[in-house]
This record gives sequence, structure tokens and C-alpha cells, in this order.
Amino acid sequence: MLPVNRSPENQPVADSLDPPLVVSNLKKVFGEEADTPSEVIADISISLGHGEVVSVVGPSGCGKSTLLNLLCGLLPRTAGEILWYGRVSTGMPKRVGYMLQKDLLLPWRTALKNVTLGLEIHNMPSGERIEKARELLDTIGLSGFHDYYPSALSGGMRQRVALARTLANEPEVLLLDEPFAALDFQTKLVLENDMARLVRSQHRSLLLITHDVEEAVSLSDRVIVLTHRPARIRAIHEIDIGIDRTDMMAARESPRFTEYIRTIWSELEVHRQT
Amino acid sequence: MSIEDRHIASAPVDVLSDTTLATPGVRRWGRMFRALRGNALVLITQIAILVVLLGSWELATTNSPLNAFLFGSPSATWGFLVEMWKNGSLLIDTRITALETLLGFLIGNVLGTLIGLSLWYSRFVSRVVQPFIVALGSIPIIALAPIAIIWFGTDLASKVAMSTLSVVVVALITAYKGAMSVDVDQIYLMRTLGASKRQIFRRLIVPASLGDIFAGLKLTVGFALIGAIIGEFMSSSAGLGHAIFKAGSLYIIPKVFAALLVTIALALCLTYVVGKIEKLLTPWRQH
Repeated sequence: MLPVNRSPENQPVADSLDPPLVVSNLKKVFGEEADTPSEVIADISISLGHGEVVSVVGPSGCGKSTLLNLLCGLLPRTAGEILWYGRVSTGMPKRVGYMLQKDLLLPWRTALKNVTLGLEIHNMPSGERIEKARELLDTIGLSGFHDYYPSALSGGMRQRVALARTLANEPEVLLLDEPFAALDFQTKLVLENDMARLVRSQHRSLLLITHDVEEAVSLSDRVIVLTHRPARIRAIHEIDIGIDRTDMMAARESPRFTEYIRTIWSELEVHRQT
Repeated sequence: MSIEDRHIASAPVDVLSDTTLATPGVRRWGRMFRALRGNALVLITQIAILVVLLGSWELATTNSPLNAFLFGSPSATWGFLVEMWKNGSLLIDTRITALETLLGFLIGNVLGTLIGLSLWYSRFVSRVVQPFIVALGSIPIIALAPIAIIWFGTDLASKVAMSTLSVVVVALITAYKGAMSVDVDQIYLMRTLGASKRQIFRRLIVPASLGDIFAGLKLTVGFALIGAIIGEFMSSSAGLGHAIFKAGSLYIIPKVFAALLVTIALALCLTYVVGKIEKLLTPWRQH
């Protein structure tokens, strides 16, 4: 086993002046060598500042998930530039947490052990990581369920465990792909609240990929609207609803909320699809 | 297929024991009664089939010496079982065959599983060795028996070799299949958490393959036993295969059946033990 390595991952990034993520003119074509290459992303430029919450919304099938996999270095890009903290990154960026609609919990690990997974990978001592995971599960509302296997937890609880696992590594940036899409409305609202609270209080940055316009507007400082495939940027909205941004109900009740929703809906051109 | 069936058949029993613990009330008695009645009905039918089969077999052979010679009879089979128990050969033969089977089962599964899992590491290597594995898997094991005896002698080693050979390819293929069917998103997730390939292998691939590996273990219990018995058929001085072969050569049909029954019992015991170990090692799965 390697000695405890906590230098690059756990350092605060406030000293870095570069924004966490800058994407310019990103392009992705699948099957370039094939006879029928399919262009998924035509041209996307995004920037994510420190402590910012940015949502990317787009019509379904527009390549949102491809975008996320490109950002994580899980797929090679065709053209364009991705800068994490001002540096061109190859492969998996550091200090970035990733969460999908599928909770991807390991069924042979208890909730607690699932949360410690990332810490084990970074060789944190056993006592320390269990302590940390317990704290995280408690703050996320799963105090009584530490030793449950995922199969015994509800969908909402499983997604909470997944969120705790993502946060355990103390990522500076969270990349979430439709994290709450599989949950019922109430559970989703509660989880959005919890996540907003955790992200905002710890000044983490968040890039949320979603098809849920209300979720995007209520959570974010900025909403980026994509076009149909091949994806380009259709519009960018700075969300200013002037209230406490960790209260999802209050956000939904503000008068400007409906305005944003209506505008973004019309930009998504949903009617064209059906 | 028989393994699957057994799973399904045992499911109502598990559900029953769970619900009786979890839900109080009168309704559970009704449910328990219905479940018991269902189970009892299955058991009674099974016993009835057995009784009818054995009974007609016994009837057809009591008054005909020719039939008794050609087909044996349940009572004569039972007689030989008692005799083999009394003169101690039953225990000795069973012990030898069990040892050969266990050794072959262990060596074959350890080797096969290690190779099968490690093929996950390199797509190149796995593609290179694929045709060789298929070729090896298509060899009828019995054809290797003479070679095994030339190489490993007529004692324990040649039987263990036969048993190992019948197990290893199946174990390899099930382990490889398990390793390759892990969800890509799960691997992506491990990578985003910073896991190296070795860590992904240890913390994700190996435990995720356990289900397939155990399915392979249950399947190969029978193969290991067949390998050992084929080895004994070729050349041996003891073991259940030896007893079957000897009795068969001397036309003592009921003794063949007696030794076969012991072989079946041995296979059931081994399968039972593997099932227990599986439950112990994979507590998160709902068995």
C-alpha cells in the first residue's frame, strides 16, 4: 500500500485563479472512419466559475451525456479544447466528482462501504474514512441505514448514498448527469434541496446536465440551452430570481421562475420532436 | 438448467420463512398453510412417482430371473449397499473418489478462474487465446484419459488430472464471462473516483464476477466427479468408478446401481456444500 497521499486531491483550490472548467469549441463525431459518421456535438463552449452552479439543458438525444463523458476524459474528443483549472487534461480530471442517473452502487457493499469506496482508492486510513463516511451519511439523512445493502434501500436512498460517495472525495467540481431523473417528484425536490445546500455551503462548483427545465432553473446560476443534434449552444440565461438559492420551493414560487421556464421551453422546441 | 430449477423451487420456502418473521397477524398463518400445502403436495407427488417406479421395477424382476439379471432390482441394489457398507468398501471407495473429485475441482476452478478473470486485463491477450480455449473446450475429456495415465501413472494423480481437465475450461469461460459483463458505467465511475486498473480489478471486477463464478462452481462439481470416474474406469484399484466398472464387467447389475447411488449422493453433498459457501461469501445476494 502506498503512503497516505492527500496532496493534490484535498488541497483547497481557492489559490487557483483559473476557473475550474473552460470548454471551447468542443466537437464530437462518432465513427469518423466509418461511411456514416454521426456528428453529436457541433460546437459547444462553456465556462464554469468557482462556486458556480451551471445547468445544461437540451432536447432528449442531443448529446448531453456524451458531453459529460467528454469532459471527464472518458471519451476522446474530435476537436476543441477542455481546460480544467487552466490546464489541458488528458484522461480523468482531478478533484472532479461524477454522478449519473443510475446510482451504480456496488451491491456487495453496504451503504457505508459504498461511500468509503473513493477514499479507499486514495488510501485513506480505515478509521478515518469510516468516520468521514458516517458523517456524510448522517448529514444526507441516512443515519439509520449505514449497514444496509443497496438492495434494501429505496431509489431515493440509493441516490443519496451515491451523492455521499461523490462528495466523500471532496471534489471541487461536481458533474451530474440527470442525477434525480429516476426519482418521484417529492423525493427529487428534497434531494435537490439537500444538494443545493451542500454544494453552496461548501462553495463547490456544479455542472448539472438535465432535461428537466424546472430543476435547471431552480438550482442554477446559469442555464445553457442546447439545440437538437448536432448540439450547439442555443441560448445562455443568467438566472436571477433573487432569493435564497438553496430553497427549491421558494425558487419555484418566485414570479420570474415561470418566465424563465417559458422562455427555455420555447427554445427547446419540444413540439418539433413529436 | 437443473440448478436454475432448484433455485426457483426453493424460493417459496425462503419467502415463507422471511414473512413469518417479519409480519405478525393471523393472515400469515393462512399464507403459511397455503405455502406448506403447496410444498407438501410437491413432496408427496415426488415420493409417489418414486414409489411407483421402484415398485414396478421390483415387480417386473421378482418372478423373472432373466429380468433380474439384466436390470437388477431395487431390493438387490439395497442388499449390495448394505454389504458394501458392512465390508467397508463403500467408505473407502467414496473417500478416494471424493478426494480425487475435490482436488480436481479445486485445482481446475482456481486455475480456470484465475486465467478467466485475468483475461479481463488485456483485450489483446484475450483475443489471442480465444480460439485456443474453444479448441481445448471441444476436446472430449475421455480421449485424454490414456495420455493422463501415461503421464501421471495409475494412482491418484491421473484421476486428479482428468478431473481438473474436465473443470478448468468451464471455470475459465464462466469467470471470463463474469468479468466482461461488468457495466461500463460502473467502470467509468471507478475511473472518475481515481481508481487504477488494478484497483478496478480488485474492487469491482472480482466481486462483480462472483455470481458467475459460483454458477460455474455448481456446474463443475458434476464435471469434476465425471472426470474422476472416467479416470478410474481407465485404470484403478479403488474408487466408486472402479466399483462401477468392476461390477459392470462381472454383470452384477445391482452392484452397479448401488455404486451409482453412492456417486449421486456424493455429487449432491458437494453441490450442497458449494451452495452453503456461496451463501456465506455473498451475503448481499438474495438467495
